[in-house]
Amino acid sequence: MLNKKKRLTMGVYFTLVSLTLVGVFILALIIGRYDISIETLFEMLFSQSGYEIERSIVLNLRLPRTIIAALTGLALSVSGLLYQETFQNKLVSPDLLGVSSGAGVGAALSIVLGLSSVFVSFFAFGFGVLTVLATMFVAKAFQNKSSMVLTLSGIIVGGCMGAVLSFIKYLADAETTLASITFWLMGSFEHSIIENVYILLPIVAVCSITILSISWRINIVALGREEAQTKGINYRFYRTLIIIIATLLTASSVAFAGTISWIGLVVPHIVRLMVGRDTKKTIPMCMLFGATFMVIVDILSRVFTAAEIPLSAVTGFFGTVIFVVLLFVRRNTISEND
Amino acid sequence: MKMIDVKNLTFQYQRKGKLVLDKLNFACEKGTVNVLIGLNGSGKTTLIKTIAGLLENYQGEVYIDGKSLKELSIKQRAKIMAYVSQRSNAVDDFSVMDYLLFGTVNKMNFYQSPKEDDKNKVLDCANQFRIEHLLDKKLGEISGGERQIVSICGAIVQDADLIILDEPTSALDIKNQHSVLSIIKIIAKEQGKTFILSSHNPNHALYLDSNVFLLKNGSILAQGRAEDIINVETLKSVYGEDICYSTELAYREISFSDYENK
Repeated sequence: MLNKKKRLTMGVYFTLVSLTLVGVFILALIIGRYDISIETLFEMLFSQSGYEIERSIVLNLRLPRTIIAALTGLALSVSGLLYQETFQNKLVSPDLLGVSSGAGVGAALSIVLGLSSVFVSFFAFGFGVLTVLATMFVAKAFQNKSSMVLTLSGIIVGGCMGAVLSFIKYLADAETTLASITFWLMGSFEHSIIENVYILLPIVAVCSITILSISWRINIVALGREEAQTKGINYRFYRTLIIIIATLLTASSVAFAGTISWIGLVVPHIVRLMVGRDTKKTIPMCMLFGATFMVIVDILSRVFTAAEIPLSAVTGFFGTVIFVVLLFVRRNTISEND
Repeated sequence: MKMIDVKNLTFQYQRKGKLVLDKLNFACEKGTVNVLIGLNGSGKTTLIKTIAGLLENYQGEVYIDGKSLKELSIKQRAKIMAYVSQRSNAVDDFSVMDYLLFGTVNKMNFYQSPKEDDKNKVLDCANQFRIEHLLDKKLGEISGGERQIVSICGAIVQDADLIILDEPTSALDIKNQHSVLSIIKIIAKEQGKTFILSSHNPNHALYLDSNVFLLKNGSILAQGRAEDIINVETLKSVYGEDICYSTELAYREISFSDYENK
């Protein structure tokens, strides 16, 4: 009886969030400085000619940025959840092993060097991945395979990258490149193009399918090395696989959208408050909720003012409000040990 | 037939550090209950963890069911032996059913998750342990004793022949200690499983009618049947001269009715 009720509640949550995602996705295509009615959107989509301006706005501008927003939200949320479960620490974000700080250095370097936006993305991705590799190398140098040493190595390398970033910002021209670096570091989908989708989509798809296929096992990985290993799970293999996937997801998202704070930390918490701890449920819910959350954030970032508000500012504000409401509603069900 | 065969086992946590296990040699036969007894720091947990495959840099050889531990993959080990720590790290939000299902992972492929058959198997094991009423409860809602019994049930779900328990009664009150010990006794008798566990209480070894290994400073001081080994001389050599031994007290201390009669 209890299980039936639980399953029904789960079904309701998944249906609601899926429908909301579809709704906000359509909304993101019609809302903006040039408003398009929903009738026009559907007429345009099902007709071969006419609506040239609308077609251009939707297909060339809003569709790529909305897809990238959804993919970025999914990627950062799932990465956050994966790290929180694997490292048994609910306060970690996808930047745990330094991927975002590394990506920031890559992007800042390419901006100072005057490279094009393609190179900014490429450098951000490359430096993000290299930073995580450096973290793993430092952890290996300590000859200790514990998650604590890996986390501390992430703090060391991430901190070092933060210092490098400060140095690059110091060298940057205050009028031009420094402003660009600062804006990049706050995140934006403004320069999203369909070619970015062609790169981001396959990475996110492959990573998501892999993670969904092992989603139940992540519960066992979250028990820690001793318990996981004696139950038959190769803990270090799964931890490495999760780090690779979270790094690819975060680095590729950050490469196209800049660093976006808060989402990777807060969405997993919201999702856990909704569906519990079972990663078989939290992972798919995190994907749906993260995508929905980021599309809403993108809409908010471009509707309030003529100029776009940086994503990190919106995620911070919007995330706080949702989190406070959920926490208030569920305050009695959270134990002291959680 | 030997389930555990340890030869010249030496272990130290740091290179050039103190020898925590010092050239240990012993064996445990299949279907027996084996209890490690000794002071804190005598090497009980280190030995338990080495046998469970959790400590890698040991010297010497450990054979489990005739196979060298070093040559067994993690999955193969989990099919032969199950390990129960002092307290599971599983978060309180999981239901007992969810937790017990984790024990079925050693029979699955990379992408698989539990099916109806696995749930039926958990139900069977829960019935044996008489904990079916706990299955829908969250781990956070059950008592420490029930949680330890659930953990041992998880080891049975794993279908392993060797069950390794690290101080299974250390955090339990005397009633729950008895419940856990009774379960071990019943499972060993009815299913022929081999148990190796560490304990601070020599009475437990007597109650379990077990083989005892008395450990001191990483060496085995004495080994044999509990009724032969647990005597004032051997206990004094482990715990010091102040030890007071009374058979009567030992039986009075474990005086609850058997779990099977509950």
